[in-house]
Amino acid sequence: MKLRARELDGFTPEVEELLVRRAERVRRKPAETDEENVLWVAEFPVGEETYALPLETLRAAVPLKMVTAVPLSPPHVIGILRFQGQIVTALSLASLLGGRGWREDPAVLLVVDPGFGRLVALDCERIPKPSGLPHALVEEARARSTGAISEITLPGMRQVNLLDLLRLMDRRHAQEKR
Amino acid sequence: MDPLLEQLLAGFVDESQEIYERVTRSLMELEKSPAQGPSFDELARGLHTLKGSAATLGLEELADFAHRMEDVILPLRGSAKPLPAAVADAVLKSLDVWMARLRAIAAKGELPELGPSLLLLEKVKPASAGTAKKKNGAGKNGKGRTAPEMPAASAPPPPEVAPAQASTSAAEPAPAPAAPDEAQGDSWRVTTRQVIALLHEVERLREVRLRVEERRRELEKAILQLDRLGIQAETAEARALLLGVRRSLGADGEEAADIVVSMEEGLKAISTMPVRTVLDPLRRAVRDLCKATGKQAKLAVVGAEVSLDRRVIEQLRGPLIHLVRNAVDHGLEMPEVREASGKHPEGALTIRVEQQGNMLFIEVGDDGAGLDLEQIREAALRRALVAPEELANMSTQQLHQLIFRPGFSTRTEATEFSGRGVGLDVVRNQIQALQGHVEVQSVAGQGARFVLTLPADLGSSPVLVVRCGEHQLGVPMAAVESSRAARSKDLRVGRSRVQLDHREQLIPVQDLGAVVGLRQPEVPADGQPLLILQAQGRRLALSVDEVLGDRELVIRPLPADVRELPAYQGAATLARGELVLILRPDFLVSSERRAESGLASTRRALVVDDSLTARALHRTALETGGYLVHTASNGRQALEQLRHSAYDVMVCDIGMDEMDGYELTAAVRQRAETDSMPILLVSARDSDSDRQRGMAVGADGFLTKKECVSGRLLSEVSTVISRRKGAA
Repeated sequence: MKLRARELDGFTPEVEELLVRRAERVRRKPAETDEENVLWVAEFPVGEETYALPLETLRAAVPLKMVTAVPLSPPHVIGILRFQGQIVTALSLASLLGGRGWREDPAVLLVVDPGFGRLVALDCERIPKPSGLPHALVEEARARSTGAISEITLPGMRQVNLLDLLRLMDRRHAQEKR
Repeated sequence: MDPLLEQLLAGFVDESQEIYERVTRSLMELEKSPAQGPSFDELARGLHTLKGSAATLGLEELADFAHRMEDVILPLRGSAKPLPAAVADAVLKSLDVWMARLRAIAAKGELPELGPSLLLLEKVKPASAGTAKKKNGAGKNGKGRTAPEMPAASAPPPPEVAPAQASTSAAEPAPAPAAPDEAQGDSWRVTTRQVIALLHEVERLREVRLRVEERRRELEKAILQLDRLGIQAETAEARALLLGVRRSLGADGEEAADIVVSMEEGLKAISTMPVRTVLDPLRRAVRDLCKATGKQAKLAVVGAEVSLDRRVIEQLRGPLIHLVRNAVDHGLEMPEVREASGKHPEGALTIRVEQQGNMLFIEVGDDGAGLDLEQIREAALRRALVAPEELANMSTQQLHQLIFRPGFSTRTEATEFSGRGVGLDVVRNQIQALQGHVEVQSVAGQGARFVLTLPADLGSSPVLVVRCGEHQLGVPMAAVESSRAARSKDLRVGRSRVQLDHREQLIPVQDLGAVVGLRQPEVPADGQPLLILQAQGRRLALSVDEVLGDRELVIRPLPADVRELPAYQGAATLARGELVLILRPDFLVSSERRAESGLASTRRALVVDDSLTARALHRTALETGGYLVHTASNGRQALEQLRHSAYDVMVCDIGMDEMDGYELTAAVRQRAETDSMPILLVSARDSDSDRQRGMAVGADGFLTKKECVSGRLLSEVSTVISRRKGAA
């Protein structure tokens, strides 16, 4: 028996158009999930503000211990530490950001891969929590930003400063050169 | 050849090579000093061992040959004069032949002749040696000795006898044969990749050991918390259990640390060897070449203790021999020429080995005539290596590079070209094959230096670990001439500098803490350790707080963020996993100049905080405001710093262990020197009671860490300073 498409007889043109649109929507590729619409980030406080960095850049969160201070180093360098057999520099994020106040002494180091082939560690007051930032807001904020920080205002007026590690490091190198 | 003998021979070759090197060294020393003492004993013992071991393996002609060398040497024992040059020559040449023949036997190759060497030995044999010959000779191996007239070519091939069948003299027993495991040459073929993989595993084990230690500390905290709860009776059983686990974790951690150390040492022994193994034979090369050319030279070696990847060492042998021979042959002038130009007749050759991070630097230098640019130009034109117009436009450096062109390396060219650089293309190629490069520096009339730069992933260097405040720092042993305790009577304290009267020389004294910017310069106290350093021709007495000991460390490069700091050549991991920074000797010895040039008056701040990051943040803010910042991680250290140095302001955390900010402030106020120093207290808590308590003990200001944004901290610091001035 041959199946035939159901005819749309007996409907007003408006209903007919609505039904056609619905059918088109159903036929279309399933819409992207919410998960795909967000950028996963590690969110953490720096003083009174909330900062975040893309989760994909985060390699580990380790206790701020066994760091060897490096006398004569630039002030934003906390020291060096061993991480998985490598020697990694620990940097003060608040210092990199231009001297922010802080609520409690950082106890955590975030080992991150900024994307230039080596790891660095950034200090952090608390172990960061993962969260999702809407891609649309992220892109909008990035388009506005000219520096290493993209300010994203979330519903409820909560503000998150998304860090661009490559730009942050570039800025630091530029400062050092000056 | 009997398989067993083959195995024994392999071990014997290695053993003989070591003895050969020792005997050669002794012979060269005895050419310059009386034929007695430990050097002579070493020489006699070495020859005797060669003889006895060869006899044990049934290598009669080698045993007899060694015996002939003994005949020449032993009658000279106790002489107040050095060994005659002819005797030393004859024995050294004979030793070469002895080794070559042993290698040929082991490799089943063509045997070099012994005859000429035996004749040579016969010629230089002292007259009194006849008795010794009779006593030790004919019956020595039961077969009599090969007469000098009988060339070795006619000597029978080595008998294939089992060691047990070999005969030894009853009157003069042969030395004990090598230990079975050595003699049998038990070994496996292991690839470099496998060894490196094992090194990485050791690194992982070290991290596991650190984690165990971390767990133990966490457990300790938990036990303390239980104690604080005051429910000891209810938790007694649990506490006992936890205490047991803590003890076990501690013991396990210690054991893991010991395993890490021993595995590292074992792997190091497998994969590396001291660079001296390739440098020591060069002394002989220098000596022989001097004899042949009529020149005089002394070879000084610095850094021979550095251990390197065995593969690199083997590859370096050829280039180094080439460079040293070149330096003697073409670099150093004849003694009379040197004297005429005001130099010591004996030329100075120097080899300096230094490992910085994962780079190895080997410098071969001489104080000869230097590269002759005119002769380089002529040779380049003659060989048509460059066009005349190109040559005319070449800088000195570019001309120096010409000596590495293949055209300069042929032997005929060497005869025609009396300047330097013959065969250096081979050296360059070999170094490039090791991913390295060669540079040359030359000053006409003063000498030339060839600097080889190579990557050195494996290998270790001796380092003296010292303490300065709470910091541990390493000083390469190659730069440490000696160490001593400071005595005030030896110190000359001037207005701007301190000098040490050391062996009738005045040496500048620097405080390591000041050199690395940790504190104001301090005059060494009586008994304080002083390291006498030497680098780049300069000497310095470096005062440190404590010498912790010497270690053999693998120095690794610093990460990019701090690699450019001129103070350090790298970092190394100590046994417990902590990193230690390794200082650069040239930075240390030039610290006096920097201190003199940097005396401009600056406002000074002391930051006291037990948090590394807090110290970094305060430092960032204060340095932005033009302050010179010193830091201390606890109250005790801060008081120590204040005892020696004056500060314009102290920024102090309240919540510190041992001595909190209130106690420190009170202690500072009790001292007359610091009773009016401005103090700004910083706290994570924002409470009126904290603020009032701070002011009550003598603080001038109070700021929460939340408020410590750069501008606010600086303005508060200025306020407390002004307030104090106003009060005064």
